[in-house]
Amino acid sequence: MQSETPLPDTLANLLGLDPSNPLVLFVIAVVASGVIASGLLALVAVSGIWGKRKITAAFTDRIAVNRHGPAGILIIPADALRLLSKELIVPEGVDRPAWDLGPLIMVFSALAGFAVIPMGNGIQIADPETGLAYVFAMASVASLGLVMAGYSSNNKYSFLGGLRAVAQNLAYEIPLILTGMSVALFAGTLRLSEIVAAQSTALFSLGGLAIPSWYAFVNPFAFVLFMVANLAEVGRNPFDIPEAPTEIVAGWQTEYSSVYFVLAYLSEFIHIFLGGAIIATIFLGGPAGPVLPGIVWFLIKIVGIYLFTQWARSAIPRVRIDQLIEIGWKGLLVLAFANLLLTAGIVGVIA
Amino acid sequence: MIGILKSMATTMKHALDGETFTVSYPEEVPEVSPRFRGVHKFSQERCIWCRQCENVCPNNTIQIVTDDQRNGEQYNLHIGQCIYCRLCEEVCPVDAILLTQNFEFTADTKDEFAYNKEQLKNVPWYKDIDPLQSREPDRGAWIGEGDGEVDYQ
Amino acid sequence: MSLEEPEPSTQLDVGVTDDGLDYDQIEALIDDYVIGRESHVNAEGFVVRPDDVQAVLSTLKTEAGFDFCSCVTAQEYQDRYESIYHLKKYDDPTQEVSVVVPSPRDDPHNQSGADVYETADWHEREAYDLVGIEYDDHPDLRRILLPETWQGHPLSLDYNQDKPQIVPLREHANPLQDDKRSPSDPDTMFVNIGPHHPATHGVLHIKTALDGEQIADLEPDIGYLHRCEEQMCQQGTYRHQIMPYPDRWDYISAGLLNEWAYARAAEDLADIDVPDYAQVIRTMGAEMSRIAAHMLAVSTFALDINGDFTATFMYGIRDREVVQNLLEDLTGQRLMFNYFRLGGVAWDLPEPREEYFEKVRDFVDGLPEKLTEYHDLLTNNEILQMRTVDTGVLPPEDAKSYGATGPVARGSGIDYDLRRDDPYGYYDELDWDVVTEDGCDNFSRLLVRMREVEESAKIIEQCVDLLEDWPEDEREIQANVPRTLRPDPDREIYRAVEGAKGELGIYIRSDGTDKPARFKIRSPCFSNLHTLPTMSEGEYIPDMIASLGSLDIVLGEVDR
Repeated sequence: MQSETPLPDTLANLLGLDPSNPLVLFVIAVVASGVIASGLLALVAVSGIWGKRKITAAFTDRIAVNRHGPAGILIIPADALRLLSKELIVPEGVDRPAWDLGPLIMVFSALAGFAVIPMGNGIQIADPETGLAYVFAMASVASLGLVMAGYSSNNKYSFLGGLRAVAQNLAYEIPLILTGMSVALFAGTLRLSEIVAAQSTALFSLGGLAIPSWYAFVNPFAFVLFMVANLAEVGRNPFDIPEAPTEIVAGWQTEYSSVYFVLAYLSEFIHIFLGGAIIATIFLGGPAGPVLPGIVWFLIKIVGIYLFTQWARSAIPRVRIDQLIEIGWKGLLVLAFANLLLTAGIVGVIA
Repeated sequence: MIGILKSMATTMKHALDGETFTVSYPEEVPEVSPRFRGVHKFSQERCIWCRQCENVCPNNTIQIVTDDQRNGEQYNLHIGQCIYCRLCEEVCPVDAILLTQNFEFTADTKDEFAYNKEQLKNVPWYKDIDPLQSREPDRGAWIGEGDGEVDYQ
Repeated sequence: MSLEEPEPSTQLDVGVTDDGLDYDQIEALIDDYVIGRESHVNAEGFVVRPDDVQAVLSTLKTEAGFDFCSCVTAQEYQDRYESIYHLKKYDDPTQEVSVVVPSPRDDPHNQSGADVYETADWHEREAYDLVGIEYDDHPDLRRILLPETWQGHPLSLDYNQDKPQIVPLREHANPLQDDKRSPSDPDTMFVNIGPHHPATHGVLHIKTALDGEQIADLEPDIGYLHRCEEQMCQQGTYRHQIMPYPDRWDYISAGLLNEWAYARAAEDLADIDVPDYAQVIRTMGAEMSRIAAHMLAVSTFALDINGDFTATFMYGIRDREVVQNLLEDLTGQRLMFNYFRLGGVAWDLPEPREEYFEKVRDFVDGLPEKLTEYHDLLTNNEILQMRTVDTGVLPPEDAKSYGATGPVARGSGIDYDLRRDDPYGYYDELDWDVVTEDGCDNFSRLLVRMREVEESAKIIEQCVDLLEDWPEDEREIQANVPRTLRPDPDREIYRAVEGAKGELGIYIRSDGTDKPARFKIRSPCFSNLHTLPTMSEGEYIPDMIASLGSLDIVLGEVDR
């Protein structure tokens, strides 16, 4: 079973240090976060720079990058170098430091969300009681970055993009969290490790194969709702409205170049993975899975969700902003409340 | 909802069939039609300096310099400006100019695309095929002059 | 049967007889204004005084049923300026009449026809811009193709081509200056969409005033791709030098259709008959071009709606590639074909013929399956329907007034297709249908294009059957055309064909030399783009982008 102790404590114990000393815990926690953040960034580099091209190419019957290294994988350092060595253009009249902080906030909010995610094999930096609330809060801080970027760019396309981002996130954050709450009702806790643990029992047995009580199986309706709301939350088709390249050029990121562009670009992918991590944790049993170690299962699950976003991108048209707001407030919100009431009812009956 | 699922099924079908319609150029070269009109090849041996190609050229790509005896001195063709309409080949009475299948040419500056008659003579064939033959079967053929010696005056 | 409503069409048939128009009856209708009569090859021209234009045009429109002003040609003679309004009927485009308006050289003033036909608005702006005729009462007489600061009118006779022109940057609108565009509603925001924008399909600049996300006001600003195509054609010889250029007007692989526009006008001007065999080859090639053009239109429309990771675009390009290979085998080029010649085509079909027929048949047979895929990806998709149905609405009356043609008109339920209504080539011998949709919205225009691909495939199939059975000794690909073609002086003709985007017309005036004295291109995209403000005002930005995509403009043809 999963280790109940968070990663910094485990590390401290391994190193023979006293985890109850706050200073030691702080240093170790910084190290552990660094390790996890680096791992995440590596994952983003592989999937964002190389994987995305390959996946899109597969959907569109093309070959994509194939020159550098096996299957073109060495395009990652090449592209990183290319992007970082470009000139950082700061347009006239941008509102600094908001303009500089925007991309930073986006990246760090998404990364910070991972702090409480149990990734299996004891990889979890902290396991607070309010884990689920924390992770939702962190994921939505990114909206602030989007607004800052859009508003401070001194560009009307960015401005429109920023406004769209706020409208969209408001419309989808609430159904998202309401649906998340239904899971909390089932599990009776907000602590993520306990939510994962609650999903480890077998739901029923199918021909000798035990189906675990993942909440995706227990409440598929909530799972679908959450997947849809999550697409909007991370801004992918059919809800990639804040960027909408054919309408408002690149939305809030129109004016960013070089390093800031890299940050903005990375943040989008980390955000998708954070969304995937939340889904994996609260609906797909977290790191649970046979044979392979937990962290591998966890990665498989979030990459699977990432694949789904790319798949949706290849086939689904973008909705219009007013239609999106309508779907959010009149459709998903109502369904989310219905789901919450239903869940409360079921949980009440069982209890 | 069904339509959306159908759309997604369609793209997934393409993703899974593993087929690509792009090729790994230049290792794998897509086929060029025999009639394709690419870079010009010029045969000084054939040219009678009648200047019809220069006259017909719609955008003055061909420039011919002759001496006062009307003997040819220079034959320049600005390949970077050419629109590959093939009118020069069409009006040439002696098949001295021919648009080969070759489209792979590069230069660092625009000026390097102004080919003189030596460069035009040395334009390589793309494949061992005579485009003129496939375009107008009853016209004389160029093939054989591709790589080797020109065997007649 | 109701008594009070007389059939309106009875009045609108002035001069219609079984063997063409009786121009005397039409002249009687506008007798007060006519000061002379000219005979053009395509129609009679009535010469009217410059200050009677509006009266004449509105009489012809309301009383004689000429509801389509297909083109306004302006030109300068040694002694006068002249504007010609080429009028037609949407019901029967073979019924044509020209209104010729001379104006003095020293002070070229005409009354504007923009009140009668909306489409004359842009056409007259172009005439003012390039030739220099001023149109009184024109709603907005500014330059349209050239920059505002341009000096002189390039197609006028005394224009100095060597004069340096200064186009200062300060003359461009500062996008931030006029934030509050409408004084009554200061909450609008001015946005420049283009000239560099992912969805303008070229270098189009749309000056847009936004009210939130909605379009309060919008004005297309064109001319960024103006390449003097008319002037280039006026400097080329009929026989050879003009034909390569039509390929470059609508360069989205619709080349053969454009070449046909020039070929048809010049052949009629010089009385050249084209052998049937060549006509069949032309018909087949032209329909292949149409498929290629529509494939691109549909796939870029998907790009506009879905975003830039859509797979539909790539599938469209892949399928278009097949047509392009067929065209390459036939013509030797993939886009810039230069395959038609006056009096026929350049070459016969590629040898071995059987193999070529096989390839064409394979393509045509595989098409239904591919179209099913597009329908799955696009028209059956609920989100796409949500986005396109009832957006970008263009009512048929507006479409007619703006001179919209092609799939744009047919998507508004106007049953107008020159291939059937004014037959040329081999179309009237073949069995196919004109596709129309009544939705008037973006969805209808998409559907029209997709269904037209099927019709084109039907035509190609029949052409292949015909070509296969054509007796070997009758395969005549070219008529006998003199090496230097000099049509008789002072013949004027306006002829149009159904291009990929609509009615592509050419006006030529000959002056006895081997080059045209005036060569005017009536571009379908030009008129179709003119409808954009009507379609988009009050709509959301994404819908405006979708409408623009559904118009399927090619800036090379808009700006020429």
